[in-house]
Order: sequence, then C-alpha cells, then structure tokens
Amino acid sequence: LILYNHLCDSAPLVWRMQDLRAVRAQGLVGALLGSLPRTPRQNGRLGRPLLLLPEEEGLLRERRAPARPVCLMCGCSQQDWGGAELRQKYEEEERRSFEEQSVLALEDRKSALLRAMTGADSGAASADDALRRRLQALDQNFTFPQSAMAVQLSTARAGLSYCPEARAFLQACGPTGAEPRCDARYQVFRDLRGRGFYLTSAGKFGGDFLVYPGDPLRFHAHFIAVCVSLDESVCLLDVLAVARLGSNVKKTVLLCSPGPDPGVCYTSLQWSGMI
Amino acid sequence: MADQNNTDDKGKFYSEILSPSELFAARSRSHKIPVRGQKDFFPDDSEEQKQRLEQSLNEHWSLLSEERVERLRAEAQGECSTEKMEEDKCNEGEEDEKLAEPPEAQSSADEGGSRSWWMMDVLGDSDKDSGHGSRSGSSCWDFSSISFPDLGSTSREHFRSHLAPPDPSLLPGDLKVGFCDVAPWRQKINLRQVKMSASEQKREKYRRRWDVNKNREVRRCRNWAEYQELMARRKGKREGRPAHLWNREVTPLHDPTQPIATGELLKKISVIKPTHLLEGASRLKDADDWRICFNVYQPNTVADFKKSNPGKPYSRMCVCSFDDPVPDLRAIKLLAYQSGDIPVVIAVVDYGDISFYTFKDFQLPTDVYP
Repeated sequence: LILYNHLCDSAPLVWRMQDLRAVRAQGLVGALLGSLPRTPRQNGRLGRPLLLLPEEEGLLRERRAPARPVCLMCGCSQQDWGGAELRQKYEEEERRSFEEQSVLALEDRKSALLRAMTGADSGAASADDALRRRLQALDQNFTFPQSAMAVQLSTARAGLSYCPEARAFLQACGPTGAEPRCDARYQVFRDLRGRGFYLTSAGKFGGDFLVYPGDPLRFHAHFIAVCVSLDESVCLLDVLAVARLGSNVKKTVLLCSPGPDPGVCYTSLQWSGMI
Repeated sequence: MADQNNTDDKGKFYSEILSPSELFAARSRSHKIPVRGQKDFFPDDSEEQKQRLEQSLNEHWSLLSEERVERLRAEAQGECSTEKMEEDKCNEGEEDEKLAEPPEAQSSADEGGSRSWWMMDVLGDSDKDSGHGSRSGSSCWDFSSISFPDLGSTSREHFRSHLAPPDPSLLPGDLKVGFCDVAPWRQKINLRQVKMSASEQKREKYRRRWDVNKNREVRRCRNWAEYQELMARRKGKREGRPAHLWNREVTPLHDPTQPIATGELLKKISVIKPTHLLEGASRLKDADDWRICFNVYQPNTVADFKKSNPGKPYSRMCVCSFDDPVPDLRAIKLLAYQSGDIPVVIAVVDYGDISFYTFKDFQLPTDVYP
C-alpha cells in the first residue's frame, strides 16, 4: 500500500521508504524535496519527501495501484491519537533507549581507553598504569547525561501525522485530489511511460517533461517533451525558441500531441542546414 | 537501517523506528555524500550497466533511508508628488513670410506708356526740376556704350595713360574735372600676372563667359522682388537654413549652423526620453498577485545576522511557479519599489527544482565622449 498525502498546495508527497521504493518500482521518478539528514546544508542531493507529478499520481490511481492518499478530513486511514496514552508510551521508550545508550556509551569509552593503552609505546609504563586506573574508575564515575542521548526525528512521522492545530489548518486548505490538470500532458506522460521511458518535469528547460531512456540515476535525458494539442496553433517564434533551448542543452525537442485514436503523435525538431 | 515498517502497533504506523543501538551509532555517522559517477548515454542491456544501476539505486536508498538523529539537549531556543507633465506648447508664432516688399511700381501714375521702373531717370532725384517721371524715357542710357577702363590691363590696346574727364552735364554745379592720371592708381593695384594652369585658364574662360542672365531661374523672375526671393532662397540653401524648413510652423529641432556638443544634440533631438525602473512606481496600487515573500540574509561568515538586528538583506524573494505568468512591467516596478535598493529575485518553482531570475535596470549607452 503506497501512502502519500496532500499538503496545502495539493502536491502529492510520499514519506515512507517502502512507499518511495514502490513508486520507483513502477517507473515513476518523482522529485525529492527535503534536505538530506546526513548533510542538510546542500542541495546537490536531496532527501524525503518525494513529490509526485500530477501525472504520476494519476497513473498510480489509474493502474489501481495499491496507493491511497491520506485523507485529513475523514481520518479513515489516520490513526486516532489518544494523546495521553501516546505520550506515556513515548516517554517509556525514551527511558529504555536512554538506559541502553548509557551502556553503549560506557563500553565505547572503555574501548577507546583500551585502544589508547595498547597503542602506547613501551617506554610509557607509567602512562599505562594511569590509564588502567582510569578504566577502573570509569565504572563508578561514568555518567551519561540525558542531553547527550540520541533521539530520532522520524521523517515519515513528521510528514504523515499532524498535531491537532496543524490538522485544522491543513483541513482548511483541503486536498483537492484533482485530476491531472492538462489532459494532453497526461496522455503524453502515460504513453511515454508505457514505452519504458522515465520522465521528470522540465520547466526550466522550457518544456513539459524530460524524457530518459532509462533510470535518471544512470542515464542522461534524450528529449525535451513539449505537449501541444493537435488543434492548438503554435506560434513559430515559440517553436524557434524551444529548438534553440534544446540545442543549447544537447537534447532533442519533441512536440507531442495526443491523437484522436489512443496514441500520441511525436514530432522531433532537428536543427538542419540546407545542403 | 530504517526500513522496517511496524504496522502492528497503532502509533508505529508511520514511523521507521531506529533501535537504541542504531541511534547511538548514528552519532558518529559520516557527513560525506558519495560522488555520483558519470552517466551513460544509451542503455545497452549490458551486465555492466545493470550493475552500475543497482549500485546507484542502493546508494540512493541508503542515503534516503537515513533518519534524523539529534542529541536531546535542553531546549534553548512604510508621494504622491504628482508629476507635472508640462506640455510645452510650442508657441511657434507663425513666421511671417518675409517677402521683400516690391518697390512701388511707378508706372501707373506716369504719363506715357508702359515702361519698367528701372528705365526711370537714374539721376532723377538729384535733378531738382525733373519731377517724378517728368521725362519719359529721354535719358535712357545705353549701358553698353559706357566704357569702364580696365586699369589693370597690360595689353597695349587697352592701355591708357590717363582718363578723359566726364561730360560736364553729368557733374554737379560748376565742378570741373581734368584728365585723370592713371599711373598712381595703377601703382595701388596688383598688376602681377596670375599664372594659371591649363585647367585654370579654361575655368577662367568659362567664368568670363558666365552671365547671370543665362540662368533659367533668373530668367523666370519677372521683377526685382522675385529675383531677391530667388537670391534669398539660394542663400538659405547654401547656408543650411532653407525657407521650406525654417519658415513654417514646424521647424527643425536644431539649426545645423549652430555649434553644439554631441551629447547636447542627442538630448535635443531625442523623441523618446530615457526612463528608469522606479519611475512612476510610487503611484502604482498594490495588487494581490505579486508580492515579496521573504528576505534573504547572507550567512554569518559574510555578514552579522541576528534575529533582533538582521541588518540589510542580501535580496528579497518572490516565489511563483512556472505555471504562473511572467511578471509584467507593472509587477516588476511594484516589486522594485517595495524592495527599495535591495534586488528582487524571483524564484520559479518547478516540482522541487528552483530557478532564480532577476530583472535589472539597464540604460542604453549613448555614443558620446564627455
């Protein structure tokens, strides 16, 4: 079951690791939005949550993939937070964790001292004695302060659960669960995905999608897909502009138009000379 | 690491829980991000590619599944100067056509037939008893018979040593004049022969043959007035102030005969005045569509930032989406005005990808050296 939710601007977000894997297993890439816990202050590699394109959400729904948006209003898939009980449970867990971590911390300290001892040169016999004495004292004197305890800030919990105040605010915005906004885009996305391509958003390339021949982790994009409906007239200047953009980034521009029969018509733009 | 999903318990439905030992180990977690290798261009179903993909994916999941682990510390924790658009009414008074007043034709009052005014007695004024037009054509001179001696001539036949006195009837009163010795006069003039080249001699020949009366425009003039007009027209053209430009309601912006510096001239003839972004911005009404979302301050390595005293922002952000319209001039002016002297950066968001744009005021350079 893939869980995702809609925050204020109705963007579908995926929070749990298993859900991210499941989404990618369907050939849907999405876009990571969060900072990476290991190194938050950079944006070369981002972390959870994963944002889904409206087309990706649409596909999940269409395939009747076991995916369900977490609905804030009805609360049907939301566990009811019994506040006091939950807090008690949490504090108990924290206490247990603290005890275990204290033990681990002591062991860690001891092994550090031992490493220091065995690493010492032969001539420092007195230093060795001092260390041995410290080891013995450690059992009595060692303290592991509570403030040094490591606690987890769960990503999934942060994304999928809300305190009542936040919930009220988010309810006011409400998830739309709308259909993908532009039908041409959705048709093209579905067709290309069905042919095995991977797609991401291409706003900053002047197009609708970037089309990859394989997983974007390993392959460069080949095409910039621009979705136009067949009866829509296109300004020539726009065609020239997008052709320019494509050649600047060494990608082929694809004009994609869903046809009357199920199928999409593709036209590529190639910069040619006259021979 | 944090992949186990405990769905058995209520509260654990959404959490990927780390065990205490995992939590402890996370304290010494590396902060390095593995460098991404070169991408392949085309999938070829090779084993090599498959392995690299698997490796990339594993690395990807491993990074993403790491949870946030923190130490449980004690929580510390305002113109309206209406621009006067003064319309310069170009009060160009109509320049009167300065036509030369024709001298009064004296013909009609005269007795006698048609004669042109220049045929009148030339010395009629000085002659007391001649009245106005008393003689009808009697003293009509044959100008071709008046000899004007060429004192500079060196040729023998034209050489004179002295000039004969004029007819006593032409002289006023009892004035008597004798022969005029030419010699002292000749000394006062330069008698050197001008050496001319063949082309110059040819030119001189044509010049001597030139007769103003042969000119077609001149012949079209029926009287002195028209001739004067012609001369004035020619003069205007020659001097760069032709009448058809300067004698009308609309005159050129600048008289080319007047000296002026290039920069001044460019300013004088410019029809479109230069403007800058903030011009008129104070008059714009605030609208809902574009507003500054937040300020950006530089990190403490570069500037001193304190919540109580943030200092001057580095830039101000306006966030929008690629689906939104591009800000029009009105929006840009409004944002610039609201921002003051801090640059406004427009952050356009595209599914997690952000592109930053800024609009800068730009003055076209004028090709003038100061």
